Amino acid sequence: MSGADLAFIVFGGLAVLCSVLVVLTRNPMHSALFLVISFVNVAAIYVLLGAEFVAVTQIIVYTGAILVLFLFAVMLVRLDDLPEMYGGHPVQAFVGPVLGFALLLEVLAVIVTTVPLGIASTDFTPDAIAAVGGNTQAVGRALYSDFLVPFEIASLVLLVGAIGAIVLAKPDETPARRREEGDLFTISLGHPLESEIAQPKAGNRRAPVQAILDMERATEKAGETIKEREISTRR
Amino acid sequence: MAQGGRGMQPALEWYLVLSAILFVTGLMGVLTRRNVLVIFMSVEMMLNAVNISLIAFGRALNSSTGQIFALFVITVAAAEAAVGLAIVIAVARRQDTVDVGQLGTLRE
Repeated sequence: MSGADLAFIVFGGLAVLCSVLVVLTRNPMHSALFLVISFVNVAAIYVLLGAEFVAVTQIIVYTGAILVLFLFAVMLVRLDDLPEMYGGHPVQAFVGPVLGFALLLEVLAVIVTTVPLGIASTDFTPDAIAAVGGNTQAVGRALYSDFLVPFEIASLVLLVGAIGAIVLAKPDETPARRREEGDLFTISLGHPLESEIAQPKAGNRRAPVQAILDMERATEKAGETIKEREISTRR
Repeated sequence: MAQGGRGMQPALEWYLVLSAILFVTGLMGVLTRRNVLVIFMSVEMMLNAVNISLIAFGRALNSSTGQIFALFVITVAAAEAAVGLAIVIAVARRQDTVDVGQLGTLRE
């Protein structure tokens, strides 16, 4: 067994182990941390495959950017009553692993009974990569010549992704004056249009739903319109 | 372990097996977990598994396309994570839950 084989077993085994732990751990914060370890090990696999540039990109983008996003999201949502794994639907807990295992067997069967690959090209051999100065240079040459248009489109995808994320996550900022005038139109999905309902009291995150229920109950009893009640609470 | 075409390296099949195992692990996470954040993490794991396959095939065929494609997959994964997590945060703020069993609609 060569050193590369040993490295493959160690890094691949750690990647699989951490991936399984991502799925099995109940705390999403622990899932995110196991995901980091899994991504780093996959980056090591990329290095074994001679794709150093992709490995560095993997570390920067996944463990640097995406994981920070995940940790922020985990901390921004409520953590006290997180849904437990397998809760509610026993069918889900049974069918999911069965389907997954079936898919794994199918893919393994395909790999075992694989047909020989087509004729290997000669433009990305180790000698050719060494001739242009290394993996990064070789990938850069391909990226800026044969794949120039997809590369530019990828930048457009990132731009649209950034704008979309900002629009979606931005809280509703309709000014109070415009709301009183009945101008409630907004495209933001941040939180409900009626802003009093949307701002929960500190320490009581159930406030929005409760506020709506209270309001409806009060409306039924006193015959008071919601609008009037809102104005009175604002004062 | 069989030797691949390039020096003392594990063969292509071993990388494909690793990729398949990681992909199926992510798939099981998507199918069994109910927390939408963990489902997102599982999707990222599946994209990673596909990247391993792409790069392994690229090496076996002496082609740069595999690595270029992996870079594009990483780009799309980054954009997807940004938009997806923004949606998750917006929905969690409105409906106060991240359980996909309870998130039946996108409205109130």
